[in-house]
Amino acid sequence: MSDPIVIAKDVSKWYGSVIGLNNFNIEVRSGITGIVGPNGAGKSTFFKLLVGTIKVNIGSMLVMGRSPWKNQSQLKDIGFCPDYEFLPMDLTGTDFLRFVGGLHGMSGQTLAKRSSEVLKLVGMTEASDRRMGGYSKGMKQRMKIAGSILHDPKLLLLDEPLSGTDPVVRKELIDMIKGLNREHGHDIIVSSHVLFEVERMTHDVALLYKGRAVASGDISEIRDLMSDHPHHIVIQGKGLVDLAKSLVDKPYTVSVQLWSDRSAITVEVSRPDELFDSMPELIAETGCQIESMRSLDDDLESLFKYLAGW
Amino acid sequence: MELGFHLVGLRALVTFSSKKLLLNRRWVIVALMAALVAVVMLYVASEGSGTIDEGSTLINTLILSFLLPIMSLIYGASMIRNEIDDRSITQVVTSPMDRRVAYIGYYLSLCVVLSVMLVIIESVGWASFFLTTSVDGEAVELLLSYALLLVIGSFVYSSLFLLLGVVFRQPIYLGLLYVFVWEALVGSLPGAIGQYTISYYIKVIGSHLIPYGNITQFSGDAGVAALVLAALAAVFLIIGAWAFREKEIP
Repeated sequence: MSDPIVIAKDVSKWYGSVIGLNNFNIEVRSGITGIVGPNGAGKSTFFKLLVGTIKVNIGSMLVMGRSPWKNQSQLKDIGFCPDYEFLPMDLTGTDFLRFVGGLHGMSGQTLAKRSSEVLKLVGMTEASDRRMGGYSKGMKQRMKIAGSILHDPKLLLLDEPLSGTDPVVRKELIDMIKGLNREHGHDIIVSSHVLFEVERMTHDVALLYKGRAVASGDISEIRDLMSDHPHHIVIQGKGLVDLAKSLVDKPYTVSVQLWSDRSAITVEVSRPDELFDSMPELIAETGCQIESMRSLDDDLESLFKYLAGW
Repeated sequence: MELGFHLVGLRALVTFSSKKLLLNRRWVIVALMAALVAVVMLYVASEGSGTIDEGSTLINTLILSFLLPIMSLIYGASMIRNEIDDRSITQVVTSPMDRRVAYIGYYLSLCVVLSVMLVIIESVGWASFFLTTSVDGEAVELLLSYALLLVIGSFVYSSLFLLLGVVFRQPIYLGLLYVFVWEALVGSLPGAIGQYTISYYIKVIGSHLIPYGNITQFSGDAGVAALVLAALAAVFLIIGAWAFREKEIP
């Protein structure tokens, strides 16, 4: 197994009375690593600590063996694409890359050649002479990524690169990010609040919730944890009293609540897969008629709460 | 190697920031100020005595004493502060360029842009006055001497207001307080207290260059004044660069 490129140990970071990261621990190795968490989980704080624009209050953070705070020269090896808009809208894509290249000590033919390569890589060659103010969301994301890989960094940090893009652009960006790792050798840390999007890029995932890494590792391990997560499932239909009685006796059932108008029941189960698997048998056994079934816990928030033990 | 790297970065930052300052919508305010100066000087030229003393006093009062600190404040205090607030500073602070060098880049572009704008305004005002009275060698010398004072003033005031923009969230209010209360009010008081302003030292240098108008009222050693101004600019610049390096930019 390769050495970790990022080690965060007992890191806490707060902004006044607001906690960004709370006793946060993670080790990131080569390849693509996904950081998943709802808004406010601390993903962006983690990235800002990695590029050293903010410093940890407690704990230690090492990126490629060195502390990033006040270590500006290390940014030769790091490319950062933040989740917010910062592109100068009056500039063309080419001028923007010229500026970024200059900040990285690149000039002349070297810069022109590299800019051309990067524009091709992100699929922005044709639009590069247009002002960025006229770019679509997807084009802006591509230009942000172009700026972050221009100096060919070893480690690439992509904070919510898919946010606000349509499904077609999202697929293209996912393919591009995978290619940046596979074909160009960049180690990548990418964040999202949508698990399945990250899953399409990597199997190495860390889940963040309220400033803590609540789970990390292979996606299949995370999935196992998720399958044990108690789910609230609403079943609507007719003849539900008998179904409720049968469900009470099942080992996976935590509780059953019959609605006052008897039009639905809310079942809390520890293993939702088993409930879904046994439904045909239960229907046949009780003679109920099911109109719909839906989970109340589809949002990641409840999963994170569960994993965090809250 | 390291020096070459930083020089390339410095050039990129100065070019980018200068363009950004010049293309900013605030040029409308600058144009209005230039027009106001032109109208006032044109009016005085037609209604007043039209002497070179009168022209010098006008340039000193309108541009050197008023516009120089005000424009330095407007552009200087907001330059880095605005970039922090709208996050356009991201590209600079996540580049390998030493933040202290980046700060010097911001400072240089601010000085250059301010100097250019102030000299243009001065030239417009000068032309409005002297083209309607008389242009001679002395009038041209007056134009150039005030231009030099404006450039010197830009370098000193920029170092102060850029520092305020890095350290404070609302630098404009503090800057206005400084300009109107300290520079204008305290600076006009009789006695030694008036010497504790940037404006005083600029005018001491000016009194050695310009023998016309109310700037001649200032007396003192021009060499000492130049040293004081250079020291002030250097101290403000060093503190600002240090504060910028230490600053967390969330």
